[in-house]
Amino acid sequence: MRLLELEINGDRLHVAAPPHWTLLEVLRYELGLTGTKQGCDKGDCGACTVLVDGKPQLSCLMLGSAAQGHAITTIEGLLPAHRAQGGAGADPVQDAFDRCGALQCGFCQPGMMLSAKALLSENPTPTSTDIKHALSGNLCRCTGYTQILEAALLAATKTEEVL
Amino acid sequence: MTSQDNGTPSWGARADHRVLNKDTRRLSGPEKVKGEAIYSIDRHVPDMLYGKLVCIPVAKAEFTVDVDPAMEIEGVVIAIPLREGSTLYNGQAVAAVAAETPELAEDGARAVVVNYTPQGFVVTAESAKAPGAPQVSSRSPNHAPRGGSNDKGRGDMDATMEALDASDFVVEAEFDVAIQHHACLETHGLLADFKGGDEATIYASTQVAFGIPGSAAGPLGLDRQNVRCVVEHMGGGFGAKFSMDVAGRAACLMAAEVGRPVSMFNDRRQEFETSGNRSGSIQRIKAGVAKDGEILAMHSDMDKLGGVGRGPGAVQPYIYNVLESFTLDYALHTNTDSSRAMRAPGHPQVSFAMESVVDMLAYGIGADLVEIRKRNLSDPAYHRQLDRVAQEIGWNEHQHRTAPGKGDGWIAEGIGFGVSTWGGGGGPGAAAEVRIERDGGVTSSIGVQDLGTGVRTLVAMIPAEEFGLQASDVLPRIGDTQLPNGVGSGGSVTTASVAPCLKDASHKTRLAFAEHLASVLKCEAKDVTFADGKVFAKSAPDRGLTWKDACATLPAEGLARTGKWIGDLQTSGAHGAQAARVQVDLMTGAVKVLKMVAVQDSGLVLNPLTWRSQVNGAMIQSIGLALYEGRVMEPDLGIQINANLGDYKLPGCMEIPELVAIVDDEDTRQAVIGVGEPPAIPGAGAIANAIHNACGARITSLPITPDKVLEALAKLS
Repeated sequence: MRLLELEINGDRLHVAAPPHWTLLEVLRYELGLTGTKQGCDKGDCGACTVLVDGKPQLSCLMLGSAAQGHAITTIEGLLPAHRAQGGAGADPVQDAFDRCGALQCGFCQPGMMLSAKALLSENPTPTSTDIKHALSGNLCRCTGYTQILEAALLAATKTEEVL
Repeated sequence: MTSQDNGTPSWGARADHRVLNKDTRRLSGPEKVKGEAIYSIDRHVPDMLYGKLVCIPVAKAEFTVDVDPAMEIEGVVIAIPLREGSTLYNGQAVAAVAAETPELAEDGARAVVVNYTPQGFVVTAESAKAPGAPQVSSRSPNHAPRGGSNDKGRGDMDATMEALDASDFVVEAEFDVAIQHHACLETHGLLADFKGGDEATIYASTQVAFGIPGSAAGPLGLDRQNVRCVVEHMGGGFGAKFSMDVAGRAACLMAAEVGRPVSMFNDRRQEFETSGNRSGSIQRIKAGVAKDGEILAMHSDMDKLGGVGRGPGAVQPYIYNVLESFTLDYALHTNTDSSRAMRAPGHPQVSFAMESVVDMLAYGIGADLVEIRKRNLSDPAYHRQLDRVAQEIGWNEHQHRTAPGKGDGWIAEGIGFGVSTWGGGGGPGAAAEVRIERDGGVTSSIGVQDLGTGVRTLVAMIPAEEFGLQASDVLPRIGDTQLPNGVGSGGSVTTASVAPCLKDASHKTRLAFAEHLASVLKCEAKDVTFADGKVFAKSAPDRGLTWKDACATLPAEGLARTGKWIGDLQTSGAHGAQAARVQVDLMTGAVKVLKMVAVQDSGLVLNPLTWRSQVNGAMIQSIGLALYEGRVMEPDLGIQINANLGDYKLPGCMEIPELVAIVDDEDTRQAVIGVGEPPAIPGAGAIANAIHNACGARITSLPITPDKVLEALAKLS
């Protein structure tokens, strides 16, 4: 076991975990943050996407120890981060995904939303093509992506308003 | 509004609906977007162990298994053999291990010693039919009629051959459909929460919550009535999750043995190798048409590739009227896991071949691709739906209406069509309870699971409509066998099975509430009206009570009624048409779908938002079947070489065309029909036809990968 010092959703945490555990394993099996989904364990599906210093990262391909010294945001941290930045109501990405019905089973959705969040942080006025590129690493089997793209565009509008 | 009628429950006129038939946000949306939705794979209970299956790494084997070495690893709590003797396909589970952590379970699984002797096997269609091929199993020849040895084919062969001779134009082709996988993002499995004693709760990723207690009771050694199943949220099913599967059975056996909860979910490789595929098929078809467009004859020789299973029953000729036909329907077995139900089992495969044949015949006689379809389809629903998709896709302005493009130039565009049919009706057996509390709260309960289709939301919408409330005013309770009976979610039966129960319960509850309020409002019960969050006497809409004040007059225990299935509130018979517009890069063979349109009837659509989601998703799965997806077996090793989400290509964001899902509003049936299956049927045929229409390359093998396009184009020139 190794004692890791991690910054997760704004909280500094000390976690004991085997040194070879991925960030995904630390999140799900030590911290109980199951909003980060385990879909394939080899970087194919995107369901485990988290933000590392604001950039999208597949947590199944990153060791927990490598996450030390970086700010990690999981799906559970989006709303608190939004509120901490003075935002009111729901986070624009979460609100847009809910409004557009951009989910069916919802298993892919945390990863989708974090990929969308990372895009909008860098590019508040993305085109549909920009969004497709940004979400191209996140697989969905249910909804056909259409409403997901609508949601990302709607979130862009809302994010712009907030900015 | 008709829902205020006091007689037999009915859905009422669509124009009167305030909640039903309107886009309604999913009630599970907020918890899902916040990451708070707990799926069975997320569930963690104190003292829980993690399970892992030990799977045989060869296609067919005689074996022995020794689990003792696993028990020498600290942290491995139990290891059990699951079968003995022989296996029939790669990945078949032979033992299981449970340990304190997931990786200790993996260590334990690796430590189990399986001594196996590989046996002769076949994993491809060609090798299965080769002379002297190893027999897949002792139960049946590799190639056998699906209907049994007395099945000599359907239809009149002599009349079919005569009709072929009499045809003005005849086509002959072989159509191959690769095996598609369900690829649910949440893998199969369950948590058997058993700590000793005489009760257990199973948290399962299942399409049949009410089937689990009966399956789990035996391995747990408990009475069925003491086993509860909970499915709070579920990460997709598509037909693959109808049983507890070997992982679930093993988890229950081990939990029973050690008296601790065991969570066991497939890894992604197991998911591909053993837990869900749509059967492949090989269809050899000869068909003939008269000059006037009537399809006169069709001779079909079909092999269903269902692995060790028989594959689904759908056969040719599919939907279209064919004057004379003869069909041979065979199972062609291989040493691979059995196919399972997958959205409209068997239908997309036969639809692809049939729609291809219709286009081939049309081009042979110079017929318009829409008109020849209408010529051979009796139901007027198809005629209007084909006209509508043709209009939406721009058929009348398209240049290749009676002859395909020639494959010259660089980029070619084409259009293709397809139609579908499905039942979509429900059945008896489910029940619902609607309860009004004195504080104004409304609870609507039925034990059915929500695979992601939106059942949870309609469980609230139906009483909301009845009481003049909003869906968000009602608390839906689902996914629990302690609630009133649900149904298995398969074959598009869910909505048509549960919605009538909810309507009946809501109706009865409203009548009882009206009876109670008559004295308060000083009117007859039949005149008590519920609308816009208020309750009033019909004659005095300006007076009356708010919903909350009306509920406050109830006794402390509130008011509740149960409802049962009423056949008249649902029906069956779904029809749909789809059109695809594609772009073919003639230099690289790459195909891009530009637009797909679906016009679909399904009676009364309860929630158009989730309806569109279903139809869009079905079109995307069709794009996968048509262009990208297919299990690849290594013939000499007998294993699947793309058993992961990297090498097995699912459609992603970059492959998504403009999708248009249109409710066929000329279908005025006042009854509900399920819509899960029908839109998943015609897309692959429409896309294959669009590729041919664009450039003249007729590809009869799915998926239509660029190499196949280039090969077909090369033959043209």
